[in-house]
Amino acid sequence: MTKDVKSKPAKAPRSGQTRRSFLQTALAGGAAATTAYFGITHNAFAKASGPIVIGHQCELTGGFSSWGYWHDKCAQAAVKVINEGGGIAGRKVELAVADTESNPAAGARKLRSLIQRQKASFVVGSVHSGIMLASIPIATELKTPYFSAGEATEATGSKGSRYSFRTGTDTYALAAAGVPWAMENLGKNWTMIFPDYAWGHSHHQEHRKLIEAAGGKVNDPIAVPLGTKDLVPYLARIPEETEVLFSVFFGALSVAFYTQSKSMRLDEKMKMYSVSGTIEAIDPRDINGATEGVYFLENFPRPLEFKNDEYHAKFIEMMGVDPVYAKDDKSGKVMAKSHAWQSYENFFALKAAIEASGWQSDKDTPGVIEALEGLKMENSLAHPQGTKILRAEDHSGMIDCYMSRVEDSKFVLKKHIPREDLMAKLPPRYDFRTHKL
Amino acid sequence: MTAAAINRLGFVVVALLTLTAPWFLPLLVDSFWVDIYAEMLIWSLLAASVNLLFGYVGLLSFGQALFFGMGMYGVAIGVAKLGLGFWPAFGLGVVMATAMALVAGALAVRLTWHYFAIITVVFSLIFYFAALSWKPLTGGDDGLSFTMPPIVSIGEWELSLTDPTVQYYFIIAIVGICYALMGVILKSPLGSAFRAVKENDHRAALIGLNVYLIRLTAFVIAGFIAGVAGALFAFFGRYASASYMFYHVSGEAVVWAIIGGAGTLLGPIVGTSLLIILREELSHAWEHYLILVGVIVILVVIFAPKGLGGLWQALVRRIARPETPPPSTDAKGEDKP
Repeated sequence: MTKDVKSKPAKAPRSGQTRRSFLQTALAGGAAATTAYFGITHNAFAKASGPIVIGHQCELTGGFSSWGYWHDKCAQAAVKVINEGGGIAGRKVELAVADTESNPAAGARKLRSLIQRQKASFVVGSVHSGIMLASIPIATELKTPYFSAGEATEATGSKGSRYSFRTGTDTYALAAAGVPWAMENLGKNWTMIFPDYAWGHSHHQEHRKLIEAAGGKVNDPIAVPLGTKDLVPYLARIPEETEVLFSVFFGALSVAFYTQSKSMRLDEKMKMYSVSGTIEAIDPRDINGATEGVYFLENFPRPLEFKNDEYHAKFIEMMGVDPVYAKDDKSGKVMAKSHAWQSYENFFALKAAIEASGWQSDKDTPGVIEALEGLKMENSLAHPQGTKILRAEDHSGMIDCYMSRVEDSKFVLKKHIPREDLMAKLPPRYDFRTHKL
Repeated sequence: MTAAAINRLGFVVVALLTLTAPWFLPLLVDSFWVDIYAEMLIWSLLAASVNLLFGYVGLLSFGQALFFGMGMYGVAIGVAKLGLGFWPAFGLGVVMATAMALVAGALAVRLTWHYFAIITVVFSLIFYFAALSWKPLTGGDDGLSFTMPPIVSIGEWELSLTDPTVQYYFIIAIVGICYALMGVILKSPLGSAFRAVKENDHRAALIGLNVYLIRLTAFVIAGFIAGVAGALFAFFGRYASASYMFYHVSGEAVVWAIIGGAGTLLGPIVGTSLLIILREELSHAWEHYLILVGVIVILVVIFAPKGLGGLWQALVRRIARPETPPPSTDAKGEDKP
């Protein structure tokens, strides 16, 4: 169910007002004001027993829409499952969807709209880091729990708050999950190439720390200016001694990177490694084997067979994608699986916390936050990505990760990285429980 | 009523509605619209900065977002990186925007028309990419968020924009001061000089006006206004981002100014308000609402080329009683040479 509140525009004032028409207008205005008052009080009483409104701030249009499509589909599916199972604490869930247009300005504005206009008590937020970071201060000020899905470390770090949560990974977690195995199996001399903006730099910084701490060598980074189409001059700068080429690109630039590096036969000289964001919503078959042999760190294995259980099977059935390529053959869209699961599972995390805390209305929100801190989620239809914990200190999800390699255009699992290994490398850097509610 | 009296009455009504909006808007629509109205007023300042250049000096700038972004970053860097309080951070934002306008303007106002428009876009793009790349200072594409410092703090008592009512009145006070300042400038000899340069810069130079200096002054004032808008918007959103510096933000401001009526002081408020209301209403109904907004803009430009401000003036002239003519010197009411 999607909530969409509309208000009528005010009528323009008319000229030539007579005393009679003035009285008519005044009476009508008085009646309207009274009705409005009754409306306000009615809503105040209705809130504790009516539906629970959960907002979903997602990228339906703009540069991230190939991901946003799946985030929206996941949120719709979660609400359907919850409502068919009796809702949350016996109350139906209303989903209020807001399109961020993949733009921080619009995203921040839509968050206010979700909370203030559509009366969302909780928000499952954006996968776009800029939008997410613009939204956290607003959600915090409006005392509304907000689930991020982007990878910027700051969301559960320096810019995080008691109201900000993330069940998925950030650049800190991805480095902690991938570097130990990659150092052991791919090589110790690394070069990193990425677009010259925050996402790429963030990956570079987090990876560099761990590689150097483990005795590896990191060559000078290659930051590609935004808007670059021809990557060959940048690929030519990769040092000969490089054993591992770590890349972080997005969308069309990602396709250009793999295509051009393949044509330069870089994959024959060095191991190529990246994170799932680089290949999200892209089918390796569609880029003529350009990603063949590339290693990817995934949050959720693309084929069913590498996490082969009934919950995963049911989840991909709900999404309408095939069990190997995670592709919807009707629309040709490839699921952004390593990220979109958060927009499904976060609703169930909220359901568990709301029911555990006995939440009735917004005044009870502190109880939900306390219930979310340290929440354990078991592998189930509610959490098909797998068992996880929402760490109490930094509100970060501790999840299993998967090191995969593209072979014959399929993702083949090479190493299952359990969350315990991840947590050992990932001590909390913040404790939001010290913040007042 | 004369046209002037109708305009005065209209102004008083709008001013009263603005002052009482936190009480009467929630009775008619959702209280969310109080925030949206405050947002409209902030954005209208950006449109007003475009209007000052285009409507009064004849310079079409597609770079005003640069100064808006500078205002935003001044506040965000001031609070988040330098640990400044509310007023020093506000001042830093406005000073950064104004200084940038002085530097950019010194080069840009030597050019006119499309060359001027292009160089303003180029300036905007240079600093947009610089802001994206300079992550340690600007937060890069993630932007820079901050915690709101209090406006005034005496002992344990604090006045802060985290209180929605305080925020609303703070915004209307600053926006009101900016419009009053523009009104004073436009009525002054400097305002006449702006119009003279717009009408014919060669003639203006021939009567002794320094066209370059007048254009530069207008550019710096417009940069100051855009900077104030950016600083306010940073406080409003508790965030700064390079995306606000991109030239499409300037393009939106140009559209708002033209729809409202370029060359009218309050036209930008009307244009900005209309298009933001449309955006708020249509974006709920259809994700591709910008197509409809585009159609509406085209219709307004075709059927009301002087914008909604021009349409209002035409309406006022039609319903107003003619002004009393000056005493005539002959029976036909015509002055003799």
